[in-house]
Amino acid sequence: MTEVDEVRRIETDAAPTRFARGWHCLGLAKDFRDGKPHQVKAFGQELVVFAGEDGKLNVLDAFCRHMGGNLSQGTIKGNEIACPFHDWRWGGDGRCKAIPYARRVPLRARTASWPTLEQDQLLFVWNDPQGNPPPADVTIPVIEGATRDDWTDWVWYTTVIEGAQCREIVDNVVDMAHFFYVHYSFPTYFKNVFEGHTAHQFQNGVGREDTRPQATVSGAPKMLGNTSVAAYHGPSFMIDDLTYHYDDGDVDSVLINCHYPVSENSFVLQYGIIVQKAAHLADPEAMARKMGDYIKIGFEQDVTIWKSKARIDNPLLCEEDGPVYQLRRWYEQFYVDVEDVTDEMTERFEFEIDTTRPNEAWRAEVKANIAAREAATASS
Amino acid sequence: MSARPAPRPDVRLDDGGMEPVTCGSCAARVEVRKSSWDQTSIQWHADALGACLERRASQQGTGPNGAAFVGCSALHLAIREAAVRGELPVQSGEPLPVNPEGNAP
Repeated sequence: MTEVDEVRRIETDAAPTRFARGWHCLGLAKDFRDGKPHQVKAFGQELVVFAGEDGKLNVLDAFCRHMGGNLSQGTIKGNEIACPFHDWRWGGDGRCKAIPYARRVPLRARTASWPTLEQDQLLFVWNDPQGNPPPADVTIPVIEGATRDDWTDWVWYTTVIEGAQCREIVDNVVDMAHFFYVHYSFPTYFKNVFEGHTAHQFQNGVGREDTRPQATVSGAPKMLGNTSVAAYHGPSFMIDDLTYHYDDGDVDSVLINCHYPVSENSFVLQYGIIVQKAAHLADPEAMARKMGDYIKIGFEQDVTIWKSKARIDNPLLCEEDGPVYQLRRWYEQFYVDVEDVTDEMTERFEFEIDTTRPNEAWRAEVKANIAAREAATASS
Repeated sequence: MSARPAPRPDVRLDDGGMEPVTCGSCAARVEVRKSSWDQTSIQWHADALGACLERRASQQGTGPNGAAFVGCSALHLAIREAAVRGELPVQSGEPLPVNPEGNAP
């Protein structure tokens, strides 16, 4: 009898104590190519990233196995990183190549090195708590526009999020309603597909006249809507193939949303955008910056919510919400040993949301917001 | 490594679970739930995915996410027919919407 009135309790499982297996993007490759070693805090450790004379980017544990000097404070010499403490030279493969004052390098002079991948101007590092190399079929797809002259360069953003575990950002991929309330978009079609190590989101939307009014300059193109195919390739790297439809033509762009964990309760969020230099676009670079800055507002609002929200493992969902539970089942594959990955985690699952009711409510809200703004303008 | 708590089942399944549906085109058997006429959840298994003709015929699309298989239209039709026949429950209980355009449902 009392069951219907029972207060629902938020359940919180312990956050994982390990870090996800998979490729993680550390940022723009060129930012690591200034001739200096870079310290990166990731996966609960201190790493050093450096480019040797051969141009290859390497990632090692930051601490020298000799006396613990921090290699990120050292100097790049040839293809090696030299420790600032005693000049021990470490190669990108993790092996000590030389000790200038010693007759020979001692046995077992090997430190931890991370497999790296440089692709589409981005640097990726492979994390696996079990220490296995990346399987050949676990890859990040090539983003053709990133290396083409008829696309802009990356407009790239980096922000450190303290006090939140990175599952919060991954949840976004299924959370249709938050795109309206937090990111000021207006989804009209929303479907998720999880399969293997990918999690897709197919989303169409229309513009929001209340938050992003159409340009009023005469002759300015009118935005009709957007089509987006976004996918996580592994636990942390999402590619969003995003097209805005204007009445004078389409604008194709690729948006990246990626992160790497710093600790169990902090992560670095990065996002970037490239835009195709379509003939009808006067200034594609400006377009990319404008889009990036709009995306930035949404992420900043996400961050504010993450920092104050509860971690919740039993979310109470309505039928218009996305597949949060099934997403987390998919996400779990990256936190267990590879031999413990179950079919349940990787088998294909499709979820299409009925947007009828959300769209009715949102149309009414947009209309009310516009009316309120016009009333405020009229009375001022 | 077994200390991790298993992810919970979707709370919405308490109001009605996934039901089997067989595709009329290839006899792939999947589990389906519909909360409304326009919402669909589909759980595939390896055998169904292997049997799906559209899946096998699907081509690599364009763009970085072009490898995605969006879904099977024959299965989509089979699911809709099962719902129309009343074999697959539609949780909302709403009647089949009448299409003013006069297109077949």
